[in-house]
Amino acid sequence: MIELALQYLLSRRRQTILTLLGIFFGSAAFVTISGLMLGFREYIINQLVNNSGHVHILARKEFLTEHSLDESWYGKAFEHIFWKVPPSGRKDSAMVENPQSWYTRLNKDPRVVAYSPQLTASVIVSNGKATAPATIIGCDPLAQKRVTTIGEYVIEGNFNDLALGGNKLALGDELAKELGATIFQTVQVSLANGMPSPFKVVAIFKTGTKQMDNVAFGAISDIQKVNQTPNQVNEITVRLYDYTQAAMLADSWSAMSFEKVESWDQQNGNIFNVFKIQDAIRFLSIGSVLIVAGFGIYNVLNMTVVQKRKDIAILRSMGYNTYEIVSLFFSQGLLLGVTGAAFGLFFGYCFCLYLQTIPFAGGPLGSGSGHLIISFNPRIYVQALCLALMSTSIASILPARAAGKLTPLEIIRAGAE
Amino acid sequence: MGIIAKNIGKIIGEPPTRILTDINLEIKSGEFVALTGRSGSGKSSLLYLLSSIDVPSEGTIELEGHNIKKIKKKVLYRFRNEKMGFIFQFHYLIAELTALENVLLPTRKFGYEKQKKSYAADLLKQVGLENKEYRLPRQLSGGEQQRVAVARSLIMEPQYIFADEPTGSLDSINGDMVMNIIRDANEKLGTTVVLVTHDPDFAQEAKRQVHLADGKIV
Ligand SMILES: Nc1ncnc2c1ncn2[C@@H]1O[C@H](COP(=O)(O)OP(=O)(O)OP(=O)(O)O)[C@@H](O)[C@H]1O
Ligand SMILES: [Mg+2]
Repeated sequence: MIELALQYLLSRRRQTILTLLGIFFGSAAFVTISGLMLGFREYIINQLVNNSGHVHILARKEFLTEHSLDESWYGKAFEHIFWKVPPSGRKDSAMVENPQSWYTRLNKDPRVVAYSPQLTASVIVSNGKATAPATIIGCDPLAQKRVTTIGEYVIEGNFNDLALGGNKLALGDELAKELGATIFQTVQVSLANGMPSPFKVVAIFKTGTKQMDNVAFGAISDIQKVNQTPNQVNEITVRLYDYTQAAMLADSWSAMSFEKVESWDQQNGNIFNVFKIQDAIRFLSIGSVLIVAGFGIYNVLNMTVVQKRKDIAILRSMGYNTYEIVSLFFSQGLLLGVTGAAFGLFFGYCFCLYLQTIPFAGGPLGSGSGHLIISFNPRIYVQALCLALMSTSIASILPARAAGKLTPLEIIRAGAE
Repeated sequence: MGIIAKNIGKIIGEPPTRILTDINLEIKSGEFVALTGRSGSGKSSLLYLLSSIDVPSEGTIELEGHNIKKIKKKVLYRFRNEKMGFIFQFHYLIAELTALENVLLPTRKFGYEKQKKSYAADLLKQVGLENKEYRLPRQLSGGEQQRVAVARSLIMEPQYIFADEPTGSLDSINGDMVMNIIRDANEKLGTTVVLVTHDPDFAQEAKRQVHLADGKIV
């Protein structure tokens, strides 16, 4: 019956092509839009995953509740304590309490690639008359390079030189511009109310993310000195072999320690919500294109069934059964869907290839690569095909079943006119 | 073997109308029977019942000894495909298929298309269309189209041919041609023919005439 269905379609080329167009545009649009959205998403996730490590072990921030101070003030003397002004506020512990125990734990864990202890401080950097507030991250430069991708973004100098000690600094590109600082220059770094200390710029990096490019890196020991907090660490960044395990590991570490442990995806939960909304919009908008296309197929098939009543009668009189008649019309719909989707996918793929070549500078999107990032994830193509087939199947089954119900008798009688 | 109608009646429509009353008829294998009668006498209705396209409201029809109401659908459809050929007053060719493809249409059901191809060409030659195998129906005259339909009814070398005024829309030359093919099938191949006609000359060709009036055999 498929052969006959194909012959029907080929003999009505114009109508066939018009009907195909709906499915074609639907699936092409799906592939293109998904390619763009998911490409962007993969880029963002890649940035999140690689740029700042997979798991962050942070000094805990504890919020006081009405009863958190009861015991320390009154011990067990009272069962109920009522405060006129209940305690509130934040109990900050600015550091990771026992970094050594973390180091031993992380060293033993086979899932950990590397970790880098950090001390982050807010400082003022000045170069002659130019001053700028900045965040300075003290780290173990070699470990930092293994944990994050910072090494890849160095445009001048050498990040490893930080490890030499003696007040060396790696500046973000934006910050360097703001200060008018160039490589191998010496700049002054000071706490808000402290004495400035000279630091030599040994590297300049450019990640393309404004926030990141306003940061400076130094060796952790140097920063601890400037901050007057020797041996203090306020974050340990960890890189895992499998970044998808990050949330799970973070939860389990968090449960057995005092520190706040967060994975890259937990830290960026809001972005994942945005992704969900994007997905909803993507499926809804393309879904509606495909619904319209489905209606097109439905109408055309309904019309065909009416036009082909005599054919149905003659086929039935030859002994073709209901099922064969249903499949004759159903396969017409399906053929339309499959070819429309095939062309749509192919065109969408080509269009994505083309989009990839468009130069796209500026913004966090185009930064690294200088052109649009498009996803060619096979899942997109499978989803597009499934959506197209679903809409055509639903659109075809009703007319096809109606055709199957026609009996030869009523048509032969009516067909005489 | 053959077809036996026992006390059949048919009531159709809304309000229910009786169109056939108490028909008893046996069509023996190899016979050539003409159903005649005035317009509206019930000839077509009886033909559809005998050919199992329709089912009677009363009585029973036995097809080769089996009550058609009790035959499994699958078996009945196979029987219709392989053992029955139909020719209607209007040719009912499929517009998208060439003459040859139309003739081969019944063979597609069980995939005999290749084996039957030369026989199909042969049949088209017999009906005088040897150079027109690859034409579409719209490129053929009415008479030529009807001849294609006749060739199609014979492609499976059926045991039965049911023809409902096959010459009704044709001129006398084409009409004679179609009748000759049907007669040949009956005489040379032993095909059982049930022919509905109101043309007395064609009815004469049959070995037996069954005359209907007001839904009854007279
Ligand atoms: N759907 C229907 N509802 C009611 N009556 C019908 C219906 N179809 C046919 N009839 C009636 O049944 C009777 C027999 O019809 P049938 O088609 O068998 O006649 P016929 O002998 O073949 O006539 P003709 O020579 O004109 O083809 C007619 O009186 C017709 O009016
Ligand atoms: Mg009639």
